Amino acid sequence: MSSAILAAFGLVFDPYVLTVILLSAIFGLFVGAMPGLTATMATALLVPVTFFMSPVPALGAIVTATAMAIFAGDIPAAMLRMPGTPASAAYTDESYAMSRKGQLELNLGVNLVFSVLGGLIGVLVLILAAPSLAELAINFSSFEYFWLACLGLTCAIFISTGDPVKGFLSLFVGLAIGCIGIDPAAGYPRFTFGNVDLMSGINFIPTMIGVFAVSELMRGVMTVDQAGRPVQEKVGALFRGLGEVTRKYWTNFLRGSAVGTLIGALPGAGADIAAWVSYAMAKRFSKEPEKFGTGHIEGIVESTSANNSAIGGAWIPALVFGIPGDSITAIVIGVLYMKGMNPGPTVFLENPQLIYAVFIIFILANLLMLPLGYAAIRGARHLLAIPKNVLLPIILLFCVVGSFAMTNSPYGIVLMLIFGVVGWLMEENGIPVAPLILGLVLGELLEHSFMTSMIKSDGEFLVFFQRPIAGLLGALTLTTWGLMLWRGLRPARAAI
Amino acid sequence: MRINRRHMLSGISAAGLASGLSLPAIGQARYPNRPVTLVCPWGAGGGTDATARIVAAILEKDLGQPFNVVNRTGGSGVVGHSAIATAAPDGYTIGMITVEITMMHHQGLTELKPDSYTPLALMNVDPPGVQVNANSPHKTIKELADAVKAAPPGRMKASGTGQGGIWHLALIGWLQAMGLRPDHVAWVPSNGAAPAMQDLAAGGVDIVTCSVPEAKAMIDAGRARSLAVMAPQRNPQFRDVPTLNEALGINYSVGAWRGIAAPKGISADINNTLVAALKKAYDSKEFQEFMANRGFGTTWADPAGFAAYMAEGDRAMGAAMTAAGLAKRA
Amino acid sequence: MRVHDTLLGLFFAALAVAILILTADFPSFPGQKYGPSLFPRILGVGILVCAVVIAWRGWRESRRTGGRRIVAVDAAFADPGKLASFLLVPAGVGFYLLAADRLGFIPTAFALLAGLFLWFRVRPLPALAIAALTTGLMQWFFGTLMRVPLPRGLFMQLIHGG
Repeated sequence: MSSAILAAFGLVFDPYVLTVILLSAIFGLFVGAMPGLTATMATALLVPVTFFMSPVPALGAIVTATAMAIFAGDIPAAMLRMPGTPASAAYTDESYAMSRKGQLELNLGVNLVFSVLGGLIGVLVLILAAPSLAELAINFSSFEYFWLACLGLTCAIFISTGDPVKGFLSLFVGLAIGCIGIDPAAGYPRFTFGNVDLMSGINFIPTMIGVFAVSELMRGVMTVDQAGRPVQEKVGALFRGLGEVTRKYWTNFLRGSAVGTLIGALPGAGADIAAWVSYAMAKRFSKEPEKFGTGHIEGIVESTSANNSAIGGAWIPALVFGIPGDSITAIVIGVLYMKGMNPGPTVFLENPQLIYAVFIIFILANLLMLPLGYAAIRGARHLLAIPKNVLLPIILLFCVVGSFAMTNSPYGIVLMLIFGVVGWLMEENGIPVAPLILGLVLGELLEHSFMTSMIKSDGEFLVFFQRPIAGLLGALTLTTWGLMLWRGLRPARAAI
Repeated sequence: MRINRRHMLSGISAAGLASGLSLPAIGQARYPNRPVTLVCPWGAGGGTDATARIVAAILEKDLGQPFNVVNRTGGSGVVGHSAIATAAPDGYTIGMITVEITMMHHQGLTELKPDSYTPLALMNVDPPGVQVNANSPHKTIKELADAVKAAPPGRMKASGTGQGGIWHLALIGWLQAMGLRPDHVAWVPSNGAAPAMQDLAAGGVDIVTCSVPEAKAMIDAGRARSLAVMAPQRNPQFRDVPTLNEALGINYSVGAWRGIAAPKGISADINNTLVAALKKAYDSKEFQEFMANRGFGTTWADPAGFAAYMAEGDRAMGAAMTAAGLAKRA
Repeated sequence: MRVHDTLLGLFFAALAVAILILTADFPSFPGQKYGPSLFPRILGVGILVCAVVIAWRGWRESRRTGGRRIVAVDAAFADPGKLASFLLVPAGVGFYLLAADRLGFIPTAFALLAGLFLWFRVRPLPALAIAALTTGLMQWFFGTLMRVPLPRGLFMQLIHGG
């Protein structure tokens, strides 16, 4: 074993590999920080590039780029109110509210440091507990997923501030939009009107680019000549106040990292869902939930730790069973096969030095994030110095190209355009957009797990509680809903 | 005027960067003289994507122009297959078509059929295996077959792909060959083979029909067993898995295949260039090793053979899907 | 653009009804009580309930407060220049969609950027230079390095002759 670890160090600390890692880090930071380009896309774009590389640099490129991108997505969220990747969408409003309060530095410092720490926790769990956690994750069948999807939807209540009826409306509309395309159970094309593109459904990334980035651009251009410059012109000391945040919210960090790693390890749920769930948990368990949404750091600590820890978590089922933990590892598995490192428990026996090399790169990438992320934030200051009238058109073009690259066709751009206008209209009318995106993300999982469970149980709903984990999750879901309903009704009665 | 000149200049310099050469072509050069797009109807990282990429890489070396794999995913393969069929027949857009082209039109998902394309080459066929959970009491395909026959209709559940997908039809064909109704084992639709194998390991379903390479990770992990392959011969990568024929005397074989096709109406010159290059690629050590490494089968057919293969598959799929009630009632 | 809640509710109610009508001819899943129509129907009802609540609240409020405008447009839109800026974002994307396939990525992206820059009063020389530089970098990065199939259009045909 120790010889394999030594060999792994030899594989990683090679000038070529280190150069690839550095370049991928810069690539990841750029892709993450640019609204319109996402971490999943970074991985997909890296497939042809890595096709000709040997395994260690190929996997190193993907590991580094995704870790950097998930962090860097926080930067434009804080500065421009546009999440750079879906994983930052959960706390974009909170981040931006902090910036407007003049806490941009603290916000970005927290995002950077807790992304690094969360990422490291995810990696440590991956290294130490991969087999046993994979054991847990593999026991999840459609029944368990159904309850998880229900719990996920519950988060919509916590993430939408303001009018709850409009929040629910947004969630239902998101779920309904998710129904467009070939249905996940019977294979019947729904609401497609004979259109081939609609058969592939509403792709969630162009939609997200539309409702968050394009609608924000539409708002931004209105004030282009008034304030020639965005939020803040300079970034001060990043790490001031960080100690206090850590002292106060270290439990949020631990809970966020744990939840993030677990959600990452569950097949099919990744960094974006981890961030939503963690943000909702932070609010649920906070002593001061009323501060959420006004630029409060607590939820950000928890969710920014969660989305980075989910990256490592997602590799657990991917490496041990060849089952993707999220959309990124779905692509990674293909790369593993392509490099002859067929996933499965034997990957640890057959190619231990390669797996250790991946682990080392994971740690290295997270450590590298501190200086590079710092530099990126400093660099973003120069970006902010670019006048809005130059910056906004460039971001628009990136959104167009990013949406195009998700579908490799103009369909992605059409989706982006439609949802840009829809998002703008929703925001104008006090309908929150975050539940819409959550509904779109969870819709297929919810329906598919429900339908397949019904087939397995021959239509008996009680079977949804029969498996031990499913029963537990089901009871948890129903209790949560019951509590919320009770709380929701009580003040209404008091008002009468 | 100024704008025009500027954008011409910027464009030319950018294109120069882009291609590494900015020679304005004088006259018509030999095919291919610019990058070729190879459309893949399935997502990056999957088996079809991997096959498309290795073929593209070899063609690129041989023909001296980039062959770019472009994933056009969604709609159970309809999107990508349409993109290939409706592209300009200039030889600069070709694609990898898969077994779904013989199935989707029966379901009424698209008008496209095998004869909507110019077939160029069949490259790969993967037969399905029959997989069970490692803790399953059924140790052999014979025991499983007996258990299936003994169970009341709908009691046992199988998975492997979406409703009406290729592995669903593999199950139906097997059931019918045993004299059972197509829905004797209930089909649980899944989003591909990997989630189905996970559900098998989680105890959610009893049987998964999918290709053995797709099941390999779970089999290696000791979570699943492959009891048989529905093919004329055993898979050299999995020598101890018997065929249905030798174990049960059922001569049923079906497979998921992948081939290269172009839009209808490409010129004979381009057709010949591509077919020759594809044959060379198929025979190359690089391709054969790559496919063997992943456990993928390799099967060659030239354009005429490929067309006949697809026509035969289309007929068989149509019959099986109609029998199973999966075909759209016209 | 703030639409009166009553109208907003009615709009979503109409959407919900449309969903419910469209699900009418969905087939059932073989051997199952539930088919592809189940989820859209539940969601249709959910949207309908929310929409009715919103519409009713809006109507009640306008009775109490003596009514509000049906559609209230932000004061900034009164300025035609700002209205044009606002519309230029979707219009620019629309232009890209219409032109990119025919012209190719390079001229379309350049025109989009240069047009927006000039409208937002970037001085002409830097506007054209930045537009050209950005377009070139994006074509190189996405088109060449990352192999995104950016539209070639007429422009690349002229260059490659193909």
